[in-house]
Amino acid sequence: MTEPADDLEQRFRAALPQTDAAACPPAQEYWAAATGALPFERVRALVDHGARCAECAEAWRILADVRRAAGEAGPVADDTPTIRPLVSTMPARTRLRGRSFVPIALSAVAAVALWVMVRPEPPRLPPVERGSGAAATVQAESPPVQPAGDAVLRWSEVPGASSYNVTVLTPDLVVVHQAVGVSGRELKLPGGVGQRAAGGGLLWNVDAVLPDGRTVASPTFEVRLK
Amino acid sequence: MAPPRDDGSKDPDPESLERIRQVLIRAVERHCPPALAAHREDFVQMALVRLLERPAGEGSTPRGASYLWRVAYTVVIDEIRRFRRQQRQSEQLDRGEGGTPGPEARSEILDCLRGLQDRRRAAVTLHLQGFRTAEVATTLGWTQKQAENLVYRGLADLRACLAGGQT
Repeated sequence: MTEPADDLEQRFRAALPQTDAAACPPAQEYWAAATGALPFERVRALVDHGARCAECAEAWRILADVRRAAGEAGPVADDTPTIRPLVSTMPARTRLRGRSFVPIALSAVAAVALWVMVRPEPPRLPPVERGSGAAATVQAESPPVQPAGDAVLRWSEVPGASSYNVTVLTPDLVVVHQAVGVSGRELKLPGGVGQRAAGGGLLWNVDAVLPDGRTVASPTFEVRLK
Repeated sequence: MAPPRDDGSKDPDPESLERIRQVLIRAVERHCPPALAAHREDFVQMALVRLLERPAGEGSTPRGASYLWRVAYTVVIDEIRRFRRQQRQSEQLDRGEGGTPGPEARSEILDCLRGLQDRRRAAVTLHLQGFRTAEVATTLGWTQKQAENLVYRGLADLRACLAGGQT
């Protein structure tokens, strides 16, 4: 797919409001999202923020360029320009169209139509799971209520994990602390972070990094700070 | 030249840094408003300086090519944000304002986007931010086919909403 330069993109860009950048997620979060290292719910929060903040929309766009240049964004050959404009893609397809294809195409259409009529109700797609699926899950092992100045986040071991990435967020999903490459299974919350959240709560989650680069994402946990 | 790292990796070579510099300058020029893009050389230069000044113990992931790109990206975004913050503060001082952000702007396309189903909204938003299908799939943890399908359906819903239909 080429850069989406259609009317929707222009309207979208023009509509984005300027916001108070103090509430913007850190750029590291965007990079982590683009590598596929974050669970869907967190990526969704980041993407939604970029759809109501012109500055973060820029950060997303620059990220797309940089990731592409870094050669990490996936094979360019997999581009699918057909999905973008919602207009006919028939000119490309007509190259394939010939007399010999007509019977095959008609048979395929008939088969698909028959299948659509008789198929059972398709199940809803399951939520995205990363890592090794059911093979490993991460559980919180630290107390759900802790002193604000001395909170420690602790989680269960994921077999084979080489390190863990921990993200701490406010209830409205602003990242307040991140630790990448933690070798143990606990993280002491910096005093300042805990103190600022005293009397309330923080959300946190863990990504276990496996040696082959895959990650196993934990659910999001909550810790109350008193 | 920065001193050798103690984490077993090498300093970034000048060619890599020059490549990163060019890509970042072009990206800022392309995606930022002209008034800000005019400072692109400064942002990127500052980002590269800060990248080279980072202490060896910062983070614990290996310092490969990917590390350089990641740090360069995050630092340049930080630089842009800092510049904007200073601009805002300066404007507020000039006008004597309190600095409270105004009410969120409303627009038809943003309202329609908010009305989409979660997965379609995420796919379409990334698409509108310039992400290719494979990149949408990687970011959201989907197969490329899923991403393609959700972008397509999301765009259809968005267009329908803008045309006065239902999502």
